[in-house]
Amino acid sequence: MGGFRKVCRWLHRELGFFAVGLTLVYAVSGIAVNHIHHWDPNHTSYTEAWSIEAPGTGETAEVLPLVLERLALEEPVKETWRAGRDLLQVFVDDGTIDVNLATGEVVREGHTKRPVFFDLNFMHLNKGRAPWTGIADAYAGVVIVLALTGIFLVKGRRGLAGRGGVLMGLGIVLPLAYAVVMRLTQP
Amino acid sequence: MRRILTTIALLSLLLAGTAAAKDKTYGKGVGEGDITKISTILAAPKDFAGKTVRVEGTAVGVCSHRGCWLTLSSDKEGETMRIKVEDGVIVFPKNIIGEHVVAEGKFMINKHEKACDSNKPGGPQIKCTTTYEIRGTGAVVDWK
Repeated sequence: MGGFRKVCRWLHRELGFFAVGLTLVYAVSGIAVNHIHHWDPNHTSYTEAWSIEAPGTGETAEVLPLVLERLALEEPVKETWRAGRDLLQVFVDDGTIDVNLATGEVVREGHTKRPVFFDLNFMHLNKGRAPWTGIADAYAGVVIVLALTGIFLVKGRRGLAGRGGVLMGLGIVLPLAYAVVMRLTQP
Repeated sequence: MRRILTTIALLSLLLAGTAAAKDKTYGKGVGEGDITKISTILAAPKDFAGKTVRVEGTAVGVCSHRGCWLTLSSDKEGETMRIKVEDGVIVFPKNIIGEHVVAEGKFMINKHEKACDSNKPGGPQIKCTTTYEIRGTGAVVDWK
Protein backbone atom coordinates (compact mmCIF):
# COMPACT_ATOMS: atom_id res chain seq x y z
CA MET A 1 0.00 0.00 0.00
CA GLY A 2 2.91 2.31 0.78
CA GLY A 3 4.25 1.94 -2.77
CA PHE A 4 0.81 2.54 -4.26
CA ARG A 5 0.32 5.67 -2.17
CA LYS A 6 3.74 6.90 -3.26
CA VAL A 7 2.79 6.49 -6.92
CA CYS A 8 -0.49 8.32 -6.27
CA ARG A 9 1.34 11.21 -4.64
CA TRP A 10 3.81 11.41 -7.51
CA LEU A 11 1.04 11.37 -10.15
CA HIS A 12 -1.09 13.84 -8.21
CA ARG A 13 1.80 16.25 -7.75
CA GLU A 14 3.14 16.16 -11.31
CA LEU A 15 -0.23 16.17 -13.08
CA GLY A 16 -1.52 18.76 -10.60
CA PHE A 17 1.08 21.26 -11.74
CA PHE A 18 0.32 20.48 -15.37
CA ALA A 19 -3.43 20.91 -14.85
CA VAL A 20 -3.32 24.37 -13.23
CA GLY A 21 -3.61 26.38 -16.45
CA LEU A 22 -6.27 24.24 -18.09
CA THR A 23 -8.29 23.99 -14.87
CA LEU A 24 -8.40 27.78 -14.65
CA VAL A 25 -9.49 27.96 -18.31
CA TYR A 26 -12.38 25.56 -17.78
CA ALA A 27 -13.36 26.87 -14.35
CA VAL A 28 -13.41 30.57 -15.24
CA SER A 29 -15.16 29.93 -18.54
CA GLY A 30 -17.56 27.57 -16.79
CA ILE A 31 -18.74 30.35 -14.48
CA ALA A 32 -18.93 32.76 -17.43
CA VAL A 33 -21.08 30.57 -19.67
CA ASN A 34 -23.16 29.33 -16.74
CA HIS A 35 -24.63 32.82 -16.53
CA ILE A 36 -25.26 33.25 -20.23
CA HIS A 37 -28.84 34.30 -19.43
CA HIS A 38 -27.52 37.34 -17.62
CA TRP A 39 -24.75 38.50 -19.89
CA ASP A 40 -22.96 37.81 -23.13
CA PRO A 41 -19.74 36.13 -22.00
CA ASN A 42 -18.10 36.44 -25.41
CA HIS A 43 -18.81 39.97 -26.58
CA THR A 44 -19.30 43.49 -25.34
CA SER A 45 -21.86 45.55 -27.18
CA TYR A 46 -21.76 49.18 -28.17
CA THR A 47 -24.21 51.63 -29.70
CA GLU A 48 -23.34 54.78 -31.63
CA ALA A 49 -25.75 57.31 -33.07
CA TRP A 50 -25.28 60.11 -35.55
CA SER A 51 -27.09 61.67 -38.49
CA ILE A 52 -26.58 61.96 -42.21
CA GLU A 53 -28.46 63.99 -44.76
CA ALA A 54 -31.77 62.14 -45.18
CA PRO A 55 -31.60 60.14 -48.41
CA GLY A 56 -35.38 59.83 -48.73
CA THR A 57 -37.61 56.78 -48.94
CA GLY A 58 -37.38 56.14 -52.66
CA GLU A 59 -36.51 52.91 -54.41
CA THR A 60 -33.69 50.96 -52.81
CA ALA A 61 -31.63 51.12 -55.98
CA GLU A 62 -31.74 54.91 -55.76
CA VAL A 63 -31.22 55.45 -52.04
CA LEU A 64 -28.62 52.75 -51.37
CA PRO A 65 -25.72 54.51 -53.17
CA LEU A 66 -26.64 57.75 -51.36
CA VAL A 67 -26.64 56.03 -47.98
CA LEU A 68 -23.29 54.34 -48.56
CA GLU A 69 -21.76 57.58 -49.81
CA ARG A 70 -23.05 59.57 -46.84
CA LEU A 71 -22.03 56.93 -44.30
CA ALA A 72 -18.50 57.00 -45.77
CA LEU A 73 -17.55 53.77 -44.06
CA GLU A 74 -13.89 52.86 -44.04
CA GLU A 75 -14.61 49.17 -43.55
CA PRO A 76 -16.09 46.77 -46.12
CA VAL A 77 -19.86 46.38 -46.27
CA LYS A 78 -20.97 42.76 -46.08
CA GLU A 79 -24.55 43.25 -47.21
CA THR A 80 -27.46 45.68 -47.15
CA TRP A 81 -31.15 45.07 -46.49
CA ARG A 82 -34.21 47.23 -46.93
CA ALA A 83 -36.04 46.20 -43.80
CA GLY A 84 -38.91 48.61 -44.30
CA ARG A 85 -40.01 51.77 -46.08
CA ASP A 86 -37.98 53.96 -43.74
CA LEU A 87 -35.29 51.53 -42.67
CA LEU A 88 -32.19 50.44 -44.53
CA GLN A 89 -29.73 48.18 -42.76
CA VAL A 90 -26.05 48.03 -43.57
CA PHE A 91 -24.18 45.01 -42.28
CA VAL A 92 -20.50 45.28 -41.44
CA ASP A 93 -18.18 42.79 -39.84
CA ASP A 94 -18.89 43.69 -36.23
CA GLY A 95 -22.50 44.77 -36.37
CA THR A 96 -25.43 46.49 -38.02
CA ILE A 97 -25.97 50.08 -39.06
CA ASP A 98 -29.64 51.11 -39.14
CA VAL A 99 -30.34 54.11 -41.34
CA ASN A 100 -33.67 55.89 -41.08
CA LEU A 101 -34.19 56.95 -44.66
CA ALA A 102 -36.80 59.54 -43.79
CA THR A 103 -34.89 61.37 -41.04
CA GLY A 104 -31.27 60.46 -41.74
CA GLU A 105 -30.78 59.16 -38.20
CA VAL A 106 -28.13 56.47 -38.00
CA VAL A 107 -27.75 53.94 -35.20
CA ARG A 108 -24.85 51.54 -35.22
CA GLU A 109 -24.99 48.53 -32.92
CA GLY A 110 -21.95 46.36 -32.79
CA HIS A 111 -19.94 44.04 -30.66
CA THR A 112 -16.32 43.41 -29.83
CA LYS A 113 -14.73 40.30 -28.43
CA ARG A 114 -14.38 40.34 -24.66
CA PRO A 115 -10.71 40.24 -23.70
CA VAL A 116 -9.67 36.88 -22.19
CA PHE A 117 -13.25 35.57 -21.82
CA PHE A 118 -13.77 35.15 -25.57
CA ASP A 119 -10.64 33.01 -25.78
CA LEU A 120 -11.38 31.01 -22.64
CA ASN A 121 -14.92 30.27 -23.84
CA PHE A 122 -13.62 29.38 -27.29
CA MET A 123 -11.46 26.70 -25.70
CA HIS A 124 -14.04 25.56 -23.16
CA LEU A 125 -16.78 25.15 -25.77
CA ASN A 126 -14.28 23.60 -28.20
CA LYS A 127 -15.30 25.83 -31.08
CA GLY A 128 -11.99 25.25 -32.82
CA ARG A 129 -12.43 21.47 -32.70
CA ALA A 130 -9.31 19.40 -33.55
CA PRO A 131 -6.62 19.58 -32.22
CA TRP A 132 -8.30 21.07 -29.14
CA THR A 133 -10.54 18.00 -28.91
CA GLY A 134 -7.43 15.92 -28.25
CA ILE A 135 -6.08 18.38 -25.70
CA ALA A 136 -9.46 18.56 -23.92
CA ASP A 137 -9.75 14.76 -23.86
CA ALA A 138 -6.24 14.44 -22.46
CA TYR A 139 -7.05 17.08 -19.84
CA ALA A 140 -10.22 15.20 -18.88
CA GLY A 141 -8.08 12.08 -18.44
CA VAL A 142 -5.66 14.06 -16.25
CA VAL A 143 -8.53 15.31 -14.08
CA ILE A 144 -9.80 11.74 -13.66
CA VAL A 145 -6.33 10.64 -12.56
CA LEU A 146 -6.13 13.62 -10.18
CA ALA A 147 -9.50 12.74 -8.67
CA LEU A 148 -8.68 9.08 -8.21
CA THR A 149 -5.15 9.56 -6.89
CA GLY A 150 -6.39 12.30 -4.56
CA ILE A 151 -8.45 9.72 -2.68
CA PHE A 152 -5.31 7.93 -1.51
CA LEU A 153 -3.08 10.86 -0.64
CA VAL A 154 -3.88 10.98 3.06
CA LYS A 155 -4.49 8.07 5.36
CA GLY A 156 -6.09 7.89 8.78
CA ARG A 157 -8.87 10.07 10.19
CA ARG A 158 -8.36 12.79 7.64
CA GLY A 159 -8.28 10.30 4.78
CA LEU A 160 -10.75 7.98 3.11
CA ALA A 161 -11.60 6.27 6.39
CA GLY A 162 -12.56 9.56 8.07
CA ARG A 163 -13.34 13.12 7.08
CA GLY A 164 -12.02 12.63 3.55
CA GLY A 165 -14.48 9.80 3.00
CA VAL A 166 -17.39 11.91 4.25
CA LEU A 167 -16.46 14.79 1.94
CA MET A 168 -16.04 12.40 -0.97
CA GLY A 169 -19.46 10.93 -0.23
CA LEU A 170 -21.01 14.40 -0.25
CA GLY A 171 -19.39 15.15 -3.58
CA ILE A 172 -20.84 11.96 -5.05
CA VAL A 173 -24.30 12.29 -3.47
CA LEU A 174 -24.77 15.87 -4.67
CA PRO A 175 -24.80 15.14 -8.44
CA LEU A 176 -26.60 11.83 -7.89
CA ALA A 177 -29.40 13.49 -5.93
CA TYR A 178 -29.68 16.22 -8.53
CA ALA A 179 -29.86 13.64 -11.32
CA VAL A 180 -32.65 11.76 -9.52
CA VAL A 181 -34.63 14.96 -8.91
CA MET A 182 -34.16 16.00 -12.55
CA ARG A 183 -35.38 12.63 -13.80
CA LEU A 184 -38.46 12.79 -11.62
CA THR A 185 -39.38 16.38 -12.35
CA GLN A 186 -38.33 17.03 -15.93
CA PRO A 187 -40.50 15.77 -18.80
CA MET B 1 14.34 25.26 -22.20
CA ARG B 2 14.80 25.97 -25.90
CA ARG B 3 12.98 22.72 -26.73
CA ILE B 4 10.02 23.68 -24.54
CA LEU B 5 9.78 27.12 -26.15
CA THR B 6 9.99 25.62 -29.65
CA THR B 7 7.26 23.12 -28.80
CA ILE B 8 5.02 25.90 -27.43
CA ALA B 9 5.61 28.02 -30.54
CA LEU B 10 4.74 25.15 -32.91
CA LEU B 11 1.67 24.23 -30.89
CA SER B 12 0.51 27.87 -30.91
CA LEU B 13 0.82 28.05 -34.70
CA LEU B 14 -1.16 24.83 -35.07
CA LEU B 15 -3.89 26.05 -32.71
CA ALA B 16 -4.05 29.48 -34.33
CA GLY B 17 -4.72 27.91 -37.72
CA THR B 18 -7.55 25.86 -36.31
CA ALA B 19 -9.05 28.70 -34.31
CA ALA B 20 -9.33 30.87 -37.42
CA ALA B 21 -11.53 28.36 -39.22
CA LYS B 22 -15.24 29.24 -39.42
CA ASP B 23 -18.08 26.78 -39.42
CA LYS B 24 -19.83 26.45 -42.72
CA THR B 25 -22.35 23.86 -41.66
CA TYR B 26 -24.53 24.14 -38.57
CA GLY B 27 -26.51 21.26 -37.15
CA LYS B 28 -27.42 18.70 -39.77
CA GLY B 29 -26.76 21.11 -42.61
CA VAL B 30 -29.22 21.15 -45.48
CA GLY B 31 -30.31 18.30 -47.70
CA GLU B 32 -30.56 18.07 -51.44
CA GLY B 33 -33.56 19.61 -53.12
CA ASP B 34 -35.13 22.86 -54.19
CA ILE B 35 -35.01 25.99 -52.11
CA THR B 36 -38.38 27.58 -51.47
CA LYS B 37 -38.57 31.35 -51.57
CA ILE B 38 -39.50 32.89 -48.24
CA SER B 39 -42.01 35.11 -50.03
CA THR B 40 -43.69 31.99 -51.46
CA ILE B 41 -44.06 30.50 -47.98
CA LEU B 42 -45.37 33.71 -46.46
CA ALA B 43 -47.84 34.16 -49.31
CA ALA B 44 -49.48 30.81 -48.56
CA PRO B 45 -48.30 29.72 -45.09
CA LYS B 46 -51.00 27.10 -44.61
CA ASP B 47 -49.66 25.18 -47.61
CA PHE B 48 -46.31 24.76 -45.88
CA ALA B 49 -47.40 24.27 -42.26
CA GLY B 50 -45.63 21.30 -40.71
CA LYS B 51 -43.59 20.64 -43.82
CA THR B 52 -39.82 20.58 -44.05
CA VAL B 53 -38.59 23.48 -46.15
CA ARG B 54 -35.26 24.87 -47.29
CA VAL B 55 -34.95 28.64 -47.47
CA GLU B 56 -32.18 31.12 -48.16
CA GLY B 57 -31.49 34.73 -47.39
CA THR B 58 -29.20 37.17 -45.69
CA ALA B 59 -28.89 36.84 -41.93
CA VAL B 60 -30.40 40.09 -40.66
CA GLY B 61 -30.83 39.17 -37.00
CA VAL B 62 -29.36 36.71 -34.52
CA CYS B 63 -30.00 35.78 -30.90
CA SER B 64 -27.52 38.02 -29.12
CA HIS B 65 -26.45 35.79 -26.23
CA ARG B 66 -27.09 32.21 -27.14
CA GLY B 67 -27.22 32.14 -30.95
CA CYS B 68 -30.44 30.14 -30.71
CA TRP B 69 -32.30 31.87 -33.52
CA LEU B 70 -31.60 33.59 -36.76
CA THR B 71 -33.66 35.92 -38.91
CA LEU B 72 -33.30 35.62 -42.67
CA SER B 73 -34.25 38.29 -45.15
CA SER B 74 -36.82 37.33 -47.72
CA ASP B 75 -36.47 37.76 -51.47
CA LYS B 76 -39.20 40.37 -50.97
CA GLU B 77 -38.24 43.64 -49.26
CA GLY B 78 -39.32 43.97 -45.66
CA GLU B 79 -40.19 40.31 -45.15
CA THR B 80 -38.17 38.07 -42.87
CA MET B 81 -38.28 34.50 -41.63
CA ARG B 82 -37.15 33.41 -38.19
CA ILE B 83 -35.14 30.21 -37.91
CA LYS B 84 -35.44 28.85 -34.37
CA VAL B 85 -32.98 26.17 -33.37
CA GLU B 86 -32.66 24.08 -30.26
CA ASP B 87 -30.77 25.92 -27.53
CA GLY B 88 -27.19 24.79 -27.29
CA VAL B 89 -27.50 22.28 -30.13
CA ILE B 90 -26.93 24.82 -32.89
CA VAL B 91 -25.27 28.11 -31.94
CA PHE B 92 -25.12 30.84 -34.57
CA PRO B 93 -22.25 33.28 -34.04
CA LYS B 94 -22.88 37.02 -33.80
CA ASN B 95 -20.89 37.82 -36.90
CA ILE B 96 -23.23 35.73 -39.04
CA ILE B 97 -25.18 38.97 -39.63
CA GLY B 98 -24.94 39.98 -43.27
CA GLU B 99 -23.93 36.51 -44.47
CA HIS B 100 -25.83 34.41 -46.99
CA VAL B 101 -27.46 31.45 -45.25
CA VAL B 102 -29.37 28.42 -46.47
CA ALA B 103 -31.43 26.86 -43.70
CA GLU B 104 -33.64 23.81 -43.38
CA GLY B 105 -36.36 22.87 -40.95
CA LYS B 106 -40.04 22.45 -40.30
CA PHE B 107 -42.23 25.46 -41.03
CA MET B 108 -44.56 26.31 -38.17
CA ILE B 109 -47.50 28.64 -37.77
CA ASN B 110 -47.78 29.92 -34.21
CA LYS B 111 -51.13 31.37 -33.32
CA HIS B 112 -51.31 33.16 -30.03
CA GLU B 113 -54.88 32.11 -29.38
CA LYS B 114 -54.79 32.69 -25.62
CA ALA B 115 -54.30 36.37 -26.25
CA CYS B 116 -57.30 36.35 -28.60
CA ASP B 117 -59.49 34.52 -26.08
CA SER B 118 -58.70 36.99 -23.33
CA ASN B 119 -60.49 39.80 -25.17
CA LYS B 120 -63.61 40.75 -23.22
CA PRO B 121 -66.34 43.19 -24.24
CA GLY B 122 -65.50 46.58 -22.79
CA GLY B 123 -62.05 45.43 -21.66
CA PRO B 124 -58.71 46.13 -23.22
CA GLN B 125 -58.55 44.52 -26.63
CA ILE B 126 -55.49 42.39 -27.21
CA LYS B 127 -54.45 42.03 -30.78
CA CYS B 128 -54.36 38.42 -31.95
CA THR B 129 -51.07 37.58 -33.52
CA THR B 130 -49.81 34.83 -35.75
CA THR B 131 -46.09 34.31 -36.12
CA TYR B 132 -44.22 32.12 -38.54
CA GLU B 133 -40.97 30.36 -37.94
CA ILE B 134 -38.90 27.47 -39.13
CA ARG B 135 -37.75 25.00 -36.49
CA GLY B 136 -34.31 24.73 -37.92
CA THR B 137 -32.41 21.47 -38.05
CA GLY B 138 -29.44 22.78 -39.98
CA ALA B 139 -27.92 25.59 -41.97
CA VAL B 140 -25.07 26.30 -44.33
CA VAL B 141 -23.30 29.67 -44.38
CA ASP B 142 -21.32 31.19 -47.24
CA TRP B 143 -18.82 33.20 -45.23
CA LYS B 144 -17.57 36.27 -47.05
